[in-house]
Amino acid sequence: MPALPPLASLAQLENSPSTDDGLPAVLEEDLRAYGCKLIHQAGILLTQKQVAVAAAQILFQRFWYVSSMKHFGVGDIGMGALFLASKLEECPIRMRDLINVYDVLLQRAAHTIGPKADTPFKYHPMSYFGTAFYDLKESLVVAEMQILKRLGFNVHVVLPYGTLINYLQVLGLIKQENACTKAWGYLNDAFQTPVYALYQIPTIVCAAILLTIRHLNISLPSEAPNCWWELFDACWEDMWNVCGYIMRLYRERPEAEQKRVLGLVSKKDVRRWLEDNVPDK
Amino acid sequence: MDAVEKANAARQQQWIKDRKVGEGTYAVVYQGREATTGRKVAVKKIKVGQFKDGLDMSAIREVKYLRELKHQNVIELLDVFSSKTNLNLVLEFLDSDLEVIIKDRTLVFLPADIKSWMAMTFRGLEFCHRNWILHRDLKPNNLLIASDGQLKIADFGLARDFADPGYKMTCQVITRWYRPPELLFGCRYYSTAVDIWSVGCIFAELMLRIPYLPGESDMDQLKTIFRALGTPTEDDWPGHAKLPDYVPVGQFPKPPLRDLFTAASADTLNLLSKCLVYEPRKRITAKDALSHAYFFALPYPSHPSKLPKCSTVMNKPLDEIDANVEVASDPGAKATSKSLKRKLASPTEAKARSIARRLDFSKAPPSSP
Repeated sequence: MPALPPLASLAQLENSPSTDDGLPAVLEEDLRAYGCKLIHQAGILLTQKQVAVAAAQILFQRFWYVSSMKHFGVGDIGMGALFLASKLEECPIRMRDLINVYDVLLQRAAHTIGPKADTPFKYHPMSYFGTAFYDLKESLVVAEMQILKRLGFNVHVVLPYGTLINYLQVLGLIKQENACTKAWGYLNDAFQTPVYALYQIPTIVCAAILLTIRHLNISLPSEAPNCWWELFDACWEDMWNVCGYIMRLYRERPEAEQKRVLGLVSKKDVRRWLEDNVPDK
Repeated sequence: MDAVEKANAARQQQWIKDRKVGEGTYAVVYQGREATTGRKVAVKKIKVGQFKDGLDMSAIREVKYLRELKHQNVIELLDVFSSKTNLNLVLEFLDSDLEVIIKDRTLVFLPADIKSWMAMTFRGLEFCHRNWILHRDLKPNNLLIASDGQLKIADFGLARDFADPGYKMTCQVITRWYRPPELLFGCRYYSTAVDIWSVGCIFAELMLRIPYLPGESDMDQLKTIFRALGTPTEDDWPGHAKLPDYVPVGQFPKPPLRDLFTAASADTLNLLSKCLVYEPRKRITAKDALSHAYFFALPYPSHPSKLPKCSTVMNKPLDEIDANVEVASDPGAKATSKSLKRKLASPTEAKARSIARRLDFSKAPPSSP
């Protein structure tokens, strides 16, 4: 009875709640990626298990198919997703630790785009009983509940790692260490894209393998009727789409575009941006 | 109101809360019904605002596992919705539990009745294990009985998945009297065998009508087990002396089970002894138990509708509901006072654990039919 994880519908994909609120699709894409990066960084600083970090990123990506960035900030929701996923994966973390780690990350981001960006970053810890802490704690509790509620309490996620090992073994690539590492890396980077909310795991794993063999010049049977991905029930078009999502992460971006997301972590920032940039409907 | 809020509100209106039937630290329980059909349900409202650490782990585990499990012998989670800041779980409403039935001295159990309860327990458990879920808190008051006699495994507040071998897990689970010796010795890597031990204890309790291994402390629990089943030798259980919390607790001879279970058939004792094997790897699995000769020998299991039922309808579908799981409860509480319940604390709350939380749900006047 291994339940398949829920995926976004075509309608949800075409019109996300954030784009309905006027946020350009490309900005939403960047903010999703940035939110996931924050989750990943926080996970590393907290020495949290990768299973919890990965599950958090999947929940985070799903969330934006039912909610708008005008109403929820990627910072809060990312923090809530990591908190919830840590409980789901049986490795709970302390709220205070999580809040402190997010505070460091967000202060550093604010510093990078602030007026003193050319000076070295220095962290100013929040006071132990200060309102800043209690405000963040409150929003963390709200975020956790909102994620559960908006995902219909459906928190089942499937991670790709076991499947990757299995497929590499079948394809006889398991002994090639660089192939494994590379494919593993593509799977991890893919968490910054929405693919885990759009395609089933076998398709995503095949895409990671496809990128790997292309980049390492490994040849596998790829002509009909002998296509290696068909062994795993993946179809070429889906796989190619996933590859596209992943490769887009690595494209060259002007610095202004890269920094734009750093100032849009909270819903307030997003609202202000919408007021400044989107003419009233 | 966006689509999500609307869906949630619609869902909320489907369930009507009638009366409060109990309150624990983390949850308030209501008896209620489905608006359209009038079907009775239990609504477990998890209080969120007041927790220190957001949503309670046991509530999250219940949502996570019960959403996935659907089986005749596992309690059904009908719906989940949130109201303001609270989380509400809508569960099947069940009239009583096995503990109440065992304690009701007016009832007489036939061997066929016990066989029927055991079969339903193993069926539900086999389903959980087949789906890679450990229950980790099996005891008579977590085995609920529906009005048609069906037994359902409830309270997944301590459950977890075990797909990953070699994954360290806490040994502070399972109410002491039903806790297997490997957990008492501090084993951090364990599997389905822990649940089977609990079922063995329940099996024995059904025959004896009193708890089989009522230890007074963790240390006394080991002694109680060894007194009943003999101290394990290195042959019985290779490597047990190397477990983290191993302590020798004295040498006890192994008395034949027959001495205590005088009326039991040979098949019965054979299955019981296979559930209570010291070496976890040699303990019978739920799947093998279901095809054990015991279940195919006469007398055949009673039909659920023919099983003994409580004479009084109690105010008590409560344990299913009681979100308030706590680890080191004081099992002695049960022996001294009927109104006190044994519970388990959520492992995240290790510090609060030394104080047994006692709740009295039994104050409401018993309504007799």
